[in-house]
Amino acid sequence: MNDMNDMNDISCTYGGDRQQTLIAYLYDDIDPAERSVFDAHLVTCGRCRRDLDALDGVRTQLARWSPPEPDFESIHNPQSAIGTHRSTSWWRAVPAWAQVAAALLFLGVSAAIANLDVRYDRNGLTVRTGWSKAASPTAADAPGAANRAAAQAPWRADLTALEAQLRSEIRSARAAAPESLQIKSAAAPSDADVLRRVRALVDESERKQQRELALRIAELFRDVNAQRQVDLTKIDRNLGFIQNSTGVEMMKQRETINYLVKVSQRQ
Amino acid sequence: MTWTDEELVARSISGDADSFNELVLRWERPIYALAYRTIGREEDARDVCQETFLRAFRALPGFRGQAKFSSWLYRIALNLCRDWVRRERRAPVVQAPEGVDLIELAAAAEPSESIEDLVARKDLTKAVERAMALLPEEQRTAIILKEYHGLTFQEIADLVGCPLSTVKTRLYQGLTVIRRELAKKVRL
Repeated sequence: MNDMNDMNDISCTYGGDRQQTLIAYLYDDIDPAERSVFDAHLVTCGRCRRDLDALDGVRTQLARWSPPEPDFESIHNPQSAIGTHRSTSWWRAVPAWAQVAAALLFLGVSAAIANLDVRYDRNGLTVRTGWSKAASPTAADAPGAANRAAAQAPWRADLTALEAQLRSEIRSARAAAPESLQIKSAAAPSDADVLRRVRALVDESERKQQRELALRIAELFRDVNAQRQVDLTKIDRNLGFIQNSTGVEMMKQRETINYLVKVSQRQ
Repeated sequence: MTWTDEELVARSISGDADSFNELVLRWERPIYALAYRTIGREEDARDVCQETFLRAFRALPGFRGQAKFSSWLYRIALNLCRDWVRRERRAPVVQAPEGVDLIELAAAAEPSESIEDLVARKDLTKAVERAMALLPEEQRTAIILKEYHGLTFQEIADLVGCPLSTVKTRLYQGLTVIRRELAKKVRL
């Protein structure tokens, strides 16, 4: 028997693809018929037996390689990882509804800006937006509009308040959530509630944005008109100056002509 | 009641976010382990893990169940790992501190295991990590999916898009390289 094994050490006589069968046998992912054939072959082939043992030993070593315990806390709660983990994905834990709200805010402002209608005619500069068509602010009523808009809450304060509200919502959502990737937890409000709240926030924000834009436009009218008045005054003054200069020149020329006429008559 | 992956997927698609959370909890460790063993960096593995679930969540409505959810997830993770390797333009490097912290080791020791045994075990683990890092990407991926995730040869073939026989060949070649590298370590 030993002699036979020694002979097989030199060359394996297995009929099929030896490497593939070894692997299939090693992982026990092999057709039963093929397994039987290879079982029989192993009895007589020392080389295959040794290879199989060696590969099995490699598997044993591989089994000892385990990844470090993942810090899923830092995945689920990025704030806990600030300073120790790259902050590239901090936004990923912001609830979807907050991201939607932010996106809608951005879209709302963009749409409003896209609706801006600027005209310059004999009535002066007119800037009109999609939402201000009903009461188009013109240069004539701009100061009034500016005063009304200025009477509203300041723009930055409104945005800060909105931001604080959003942050507070996000914090409370995080606090209520378990330590896992949160799309929605059982303790979190229902989708309908969240959507209602987002819509309310978006509406409120849109109103504030509208007021702010009206204020900005009114300020623009006022500034443009003020500058226009200044320019007109300057032009008027310059024209007057030019007229005066021209008149003086004409008088001088007339005097020169009169003098020349008098001299020529004497001669 | 325990839902199958496919049931959870169906519920997620119909708008049940809790079902997707359940899928995340079920698969985050295997996906992290796959990413770590493939790219060898803890932080990047965490990022890949996170990105895998985000992409899966976005693509979920398009998931038609033509493959198992886990295979689909593995495919996303493997693609991200491949992108990472290409982006970094280097072979994965497993984080392995040069020095051995005995205090840390003592804390991790089994009651019946001496510090010497533990150091030897840690050394061997590092040797395995280094040997794995030497392998071509296809061989490493095949070994990881088979050895640590228990996929069948056919599942691996479907996942990486190659014939079944190629998967077995890659496994044989990969294991042979590791065997040789570990033998060098023993001789040292």
